[in-house]
Order: sequence, then structure tokens, then C-alpha cells
Amino acid sequence: MSKIEKNPVFQAAGATISDLRKSYGNNEVLKGISLEVKPGEVVCLIGPSGSGKSTLLRCVNLLEKPNGGTIHVGGFEATDPEVDLDRMRQNVGMVFQQFNLFPHLTVLQNCTVAQLKVLKRSSSEAKKIAAENLERVGLGDFGARYPDQLSGGQQQRVAIARALSMNPTLMLFDEPTSALDPETVGEVLAIMKTLAKAGMTMLVVTHEMAFAKEVADRVVFMDGGVVVEEGPAAEVIGNPQQPRTQDFLRRVLDPTHVDI
Amino acid sequence: MAMTTSQRARISKIVQAIIFVAVITTLVIVADWPKIRTSFFAFEKLGPMFPDLLLVGLKNTIFYTVISFAFGLSLGLVLALMKMASFAPYRWLATGFIEFFRGVPAILVLLAFGFGVPAAFPEAKWPFAVTVMLSLGLVAAAYIAETLRAGLQAVPRGQTEAARSLGMPAWRAMVTIVIPQAFKIVLPPLTNEMILLTKDSSLAFILGMTAAQYEMTKFGREGITSLGAGITPLIVAGALYLVITIPLSLITRRFENSSARTKR
Ligand SMILES: Nc1ncnc2c1ncn2[C@@H]1O[C@H](COP(=O)(O)OP(=O)(O)OP(=O)(O)O)[C@@H](O)[C@H]1O
Ligand SMILES: [Mg+2]
Repeated sequence: MSKIEKNPVFQAAGATISDLRKSYGNNEVLKGISLEVKPGEVVCLIGPSGSGKSTLLRCVNLLEKPNGGTIHVGGFEATDPEVDLDRMRQNVGMVFQQFNLFPHLTVLQNCTVAQLKVLKRSSSEAKKIAAENLERVGLGDFGARYPDQLSGGQQQRVAIARALSMNPTLMLFDEPTSALDPETVGEVLAIMKTLAKAGMTMLVVTHEMAFAKEVADRVVFMDGGVVVEEGPAAEVIGNPQQPRTQDFLRRVLDPTHVDI
Repeated sequence: MAMTTSQRARISKIVQAIIFVAVITTLVIVADWPKIRTSFFAFEKLGPMFPDLLLVGLKNTIFYTVISFAFGLSLGLVLALMKMASFAPYRWLATGFIEFFRGVPAILVLLAFGFGVPAAFPEAKWPFAVTVMLSLGLVAAAYIAETLRAGLQAVPRGQTEAARSLGMPAWRAMVTIVIPQAFKIVLPPLTNEMILLTKDSSLAFILGMTAAQYEMTKFGREGITSLGAGITPLIVAGALYLVITIPLSLITRRFENSSARTKR
């Protein structure tokens, strides 16, 4: 278990990934990944660049089409060719490294557009929900601004509020703080921690080991398209068993260290 | 003696000014002013051109331009989407079309539609305006397609991905997220295309027109032969083109400025 205390307020669903395979041409990027995220659980995905973390995350909501294996998210089998992908994605929030806010819409509209067009909520209800979620990420007064009038950290918090406004039961984060200035990383991680406390199911790709150690229920270390090691955060990060994990963590935790 | 750069620049500026004044003076002295007035600015003789130059000519110029643009824009959007399609034959078809109609003179397309089609299909009778719309529209579509494709592709992929991951179907992501952003990008080149079309509408004369079909340039040409006012009719027609095209440019510039402001 993670070190933080949880008081669930979110409705949570889990995800089950089994024997997931994905290739780009001849390049097999995911070589049979199996992974379970239980409802309300926070799983951090770590690993070197190019190990397939983003690809795995993007397969979960079918932004990438897997070549094999199955993915179950909530009540949906994402890999079923008949599945209603748009319905499934309404339940799966995604937060991108580059924020991907809609620049032609205000902060409030960013948070209401999908509620209105996809969930067909009324304008007043959508605004109310958007305002609640902007409040939750500490940006209650920023609804009328445009994304380019915000700092990187603020933009990422809006992106989180936008995803939350759809009432997802599972949230995917792909290196949400990697594009941020160091001084704004903390504010985004703090929001993610409050989500974890509130019982959101989260699958997080991150290089923030301190965050993973404190917030994650489980940490999964990937390398070369396979899961090398997984377990409680304290064990995988604090006492890794596999040489590849040890090597990776040594480089991440002590960037100036070089093996010669 | 060595000169500094600023000294040299000053001397070059003075020389340019002297040449400019000399050229103007020569032209003013050499020119036959009374002749210039009667052949360029004989406005008093233009009475018979009005009000038809405006009610028929200006109206037809705008009419031919608008219908050709509307057709070109619709077809251009289809071609742009075809060019981005994953089905390769669509892409080939669109590329072939675009390369062809960008490469041949508009006047040739007009002639083909105006004389070739009636010859080949004697039964097919369609109004003059449709011939103009189809021929000028096909050429415009080729340019517009490339403009639209570039605009749509200039919107980052992450925008579509964010929209899809919020549960939007592909068409909804296109309509609500991608197209509004692409619109800002393509508005200036589309206005440019509209300006070109405004001028190209004058090519319609090549098909032979009845008086009710005259556009502004045709009125100008008629005026030259019938009014004895030199090329004054053309000067007036030319000014009327500017009345259409300059506001178009101004609108675009304003739009560019305002979108530059929201871009921080
Ligand atoms: N669209 C694509 N087409 C071809 N190859 C791709 C594509 N996306 C990813 N890859 C390849 O798949 C491999 C895994 O990429 P992925 O982005 O999943 O890694 P990652 O673990 O997220 O790395 P990083 O930490 O740098 O984000 C890389 O070798 C990459 O070059
Ligand atoms: Mg990645």
C-alpha cells in the first residue's frame, strides 16, 4: 500500500491488461505485457526512454491499436473490435505530457466542450461541473482565460480538470510533469496526490521517483517492451531485485553517476 | 579615403532621391497632358456606362466570384480530405486533379467548358453562370485543396488525440476541435484565393456574353469602343475591382492581427 491515507469520493474502475503486444512495422515495442490496476489503485510505470511506457498507456484507451492481447477497462473490453470506443473513452481520462489543451477555447470551455458535445449535459450543469473541477485544481478564477495565458503548471492542471469533468473512473497520465519548469512540477504532483487520496484509479508514467514512492500503491518497471519488475513502491524503488531495475534507478536517482 | 557604412548609406540615399526626381520631371515634361486627360481621365463621357456598370457589371463580377469560390471551396475540402485519406487511390485521384488544374491556364479550362462540353454533349444545356462556376471553381479548388490540407495538418495531432480521449468521435473532433483551429490558419490564403478569383472572373468574356452577363472588365472594353473616352472606362472598372479586393485584404489583416494577439 502507499503511504497516503485514502478517503474515496470517486467512483473507480480497474483495468486488466493481458499479453499485450504492439509493433510498429518490424519494431516490436510491447512484447506481451500483463498488468492489473485495481479499482482505486495508483500504479506508477517507470522505465528508460523507448521502453514502451507511452505506447502501453496509449493502448489502454486505444489511441494506439494493439496487435495482440486483451485490455479490459471498467465494463469494457477495449480490444473487442465491436466495442464502442467513444463510450469507453468517456470513462478513461488522459493527461498528456504536452497538455494538449484546446487553444481556441477558454479554460472553462476546455472543461465543458466534451460534456456538452459528448455527454449532452445541459450548459448550466456542464459549467457547474467544470467549475467544481477547476476549483479542485486550484484554478477556480481562471475560467475566462485562454490556455496561452497560463503557465505550464496551470495548463496541466486545467488538463486534469478537463479530464475530471467527464467523471472518469480511471485516469491515465503520460509524464504529466516532464514538460514543466521545475518550480511548477510540485503543484501538478500535489493535485495528483489529492486525486489519489480521493480514490481515483490512476496509471501514471513518471520519472518522479519521490512521487512514485509516496503515492503509488504499486510500481511497475518496464524495459525493452516487457515488465521487468513490479511490486509495492517501497520495494521496487527502495530495494529493487533485478539488475536492470537497479541500473535504471541508479541513473535516475543520481544523474551524474556514469558507469565507465 | 575610406567611408563609414553610414556615410555610404547616406550618399546612396541622396543619389536615389536625385534619380527619382529626375525621372518624374522628365516624364512630366515629356508627357502630353491634354492627351492624357482625354484618354485616361475623361470621366465626363462615362455617363452612358451608369448605372449598368454597377447594377450589372459589379453585380456579375461578384456573382461569378462568389459561386466559383463556393464551388471551389466545397470541392477543395473534399479534395483535401481525399489527399489525407488512408485509402491510396483517393490520394492519387486528388493529387492528379490538383496537379492538372493548377498547371493549366484558367482560360483554357473556361474554353474547354464553354466550347468543348457543348460540342461533346449537344443535349447538355446549362446556364452561362454554371459554366463559369464549374471552370473557375475547378481551378480554384485545386489551390484551395492544398491550402486546406496544409491548414488541417498544421493543427497538432495531440489536439485530435485529446479530443478522441474525451470520447469525441472522429467527425466531432474534426468539426469542434481541428477545423476551428485550421480556419484561422487558412483564412488569409483563402482570402487571397478569393481576390485572385475576383480578377479571374473577367476571363468569362472569352465565352461570349449577352449584355445581361457582362462583368466589369467587359463593360470597360465596351466603353472603350463606344464612348470615345480613351481607356477611362478601364480605369473606372479597375478602381471598382479595388473596391472589392482591398476590403478583403483589410479584413484578413485585421483577422491576422487579432489572432496574433490571442497567441500571447
Ligand atoms: N508512432 C510510432 N511509430 C513508430 N515507432 C514508434 C511510434 N511510437 C513509438 N515508437 C517507438 O516505440 C518505442 C517505444 O516508444 P514509447 O514512446 O512507448 O517509449 P517511452 O517508454 O514512452 O519513452 P519515453 O520515456 O522517451 O517517453 C520507441 O522505440 C519508439 O521509437
Ligand atoms: Mg513516453
